[in-house]
Amino acid sequence: MLNIALPKGRLGDKVYELFASIGYDCSEIYSDNRKLVFENKENGVRYLLVKPSDVAIYIAHGAADIGVVGKDILEEDSFDIYELLDLGLGKCNMCVAAPNDYVEDFDRPLRVATKFVNIAKNYYISLNREIEIIKLNGSIEIAPILGLSDVIVDIVESGKTLKENNLRVYEKIMPISARLIANKSSYKFKSADIDRLMEKLKKELAKNDKNN
Amino acid sequence: MNEFLASLSKEDSLTYELSMLYKQWGYKEYRMAKFEEYSFYSDNRDFLSSKGILAFNNSDGRLMALKPDITLSIVKNAKLSGSLTKLYYNESVFRMTDSSMDYKEIKQTGVEILGSVDDYLVAEVLMLAAKSLKTIDKDFVLSISHMAFIPSLLSELEIGENAKKEIVDCVKSKNTHDLRTICEKCGVSGEKTELLASFAQISGKMDEAIPMLCALSCNDEMKKACSELEFICASLKKSPLADRLFIDLSVMNNIDYYNGIIFQGYVEKAPSAVLSGGRYDKLAGKLRENIQAIGFAVYLDNLNLYYKKKREYDSDILIVFDSAEQSVSLLSLVESFIEKGFSVRVEHSVPDGYRAKTTYMFENGALREVSSC
Repeated sequence: MLNIALPKGRLGDKVYELFASIGYDCSEIYSDNRKLVFENKENGVRYLLVKPSDVAIYIAHGAADIGVVGKDILEEDSFDIYELLDLGLGKCNMCVAAPNDYVEDFDRPLRVATKFVNIAKNYYISLNREIEIIKLNGSIEIAPILGLSDVIVDIVESGKTLKENNLRVYEKIMPISARLIANKSSYKFKSADIDRLMEKLKKELAKNDKNN
Repeated sequence: MNEFLASLSKEDSLTYELSMLYKQWGYKEYRMAKFEEYSFYSDNRDFLSSKGILAFNNSDGRLMALKPDITLSIVKNAKLSGSLTKLYYNESVFRMTDSSMDYKEIKQTGVEILGSVDDYLVAEVLMLAAKSLKTIDKDFVLSISHMAFIPSLLSELEIGENAKKEIVDCVKSKNTHDLRTICEKCGVSGEKTELLASFAQISGKMDEAIPMLCALSCNDEMKKACSELEFICASLKKSPLADRLFIDLSVMNNIDYYNGIIFQGYVEKAPSAVLSGGRYDKLAGKLRENIQAIGFAVYLDNLNLYYKKKREYDSDILIVFDSAEQSVSLLSLVESFIEKGFSVRVEHSVPDGYRAKTTYMFENGALREVSSC
């Protein structure tokens, strides 16, 4: 039995559709919205629906064998896991964004609002730029508008939210997409099952790429 | 003896069984001092898996450390005898955990060989590592790697140290998609990129994976490593444990300290490696002249969690007696049960939630059975 942790929400739905299309379906998943664990013994899969930021924690502790998680989560915290495949789903960018009329003042430390503290720190260390981090948990875009920060570091998908708040992408830090990850110990003991699933995923992704 | 071992926790029974195993193979016990000079550990901080060292001043003002690492202590302090010193240990180390940033006592057992290490000794240590894992769980995997492949390939690339570190991180997580992106960004040739990706993905039983590895070897260092792996594979081939030994180059350790064979052991019920080891001539050479070294540690601290033992009973017999009725015969009755191999607890009343196979009341100088399971 393969235990698969999926992120609840839009990305999780997309990933489930992908897994179902290669023979790992579990129709029960549509039957009851409150349940968090769904099993299909015939296919040998058990899906766990968890908070997106917790997927890697479940995998690292062996509560699930494999899972799908955004690269942003893997970059923000370090996990002792295998990162086996880039699924190319949920593509977006980790960016520095600033007000449309922003001009950087290099005479003082940059005030950066973000929930991705480590990504922001590492990025500005690579630029040798002194910063002051303001950790926020949501509505990051409001910080530069109110003068709380100079810039923000956040995920930008379409750029619509930035535009509506008179912000623009100032610098691109890294591309983000969904990754297939595995617990190291699980991979040692279930490598045949995981490799089989990976091969099917690769074929399906290649097929989708061709069609697009 | 088996009944006694069965009654112990997984951690305690393993401490005993592994000590016996290492003694059978001729290893002598090493006892570490509780406190050692802090400066020694801070000088070799990169070798430690945890950066937090528990330190304090002693009465003469010297900064001391509380058992941060056993391998470092052994390499620095062990008395060498002849051409080889073979040691085993059962110790606790104190380290900061990554998750809670608190200090934790971690129980470890393991072996170290100091002296002139040859291919036979490497095979012996791998055999002992495999036997140690089998003692924990018959379902185990020993992942074996060699420091000659990825590091020697990286040393040929004209890229910055940060990029090399990023590539090593990708290899460790079998992340070939980001590895290819980094290589492309740094201008690494397609041929070298694919070689790195192949090394990161190679995984298989020794007799299948070693020929693949040898076919990919492209410099003298790698070819020498292949001969070493072939000798080890041939030495361990006849062992029934050989099926559990896998080549996996994603196992990597600090290049500044380790060289040659490195390995990690996994058991089915634990989510992370429970055994880690390798050849560390570079570290040994830094601390003592003309010395080579190899060894491994078994991490016992979380095994009680993953291998819970259900105890059906707290004791075989519970005897309840009224303290108002003192009797000289009770003690000899208890002793007679114990001599027959039973465990016995004597109480004034039945403790809350206590589970005994048989419960007796002691009345008028005799036992009356009140319940039996």
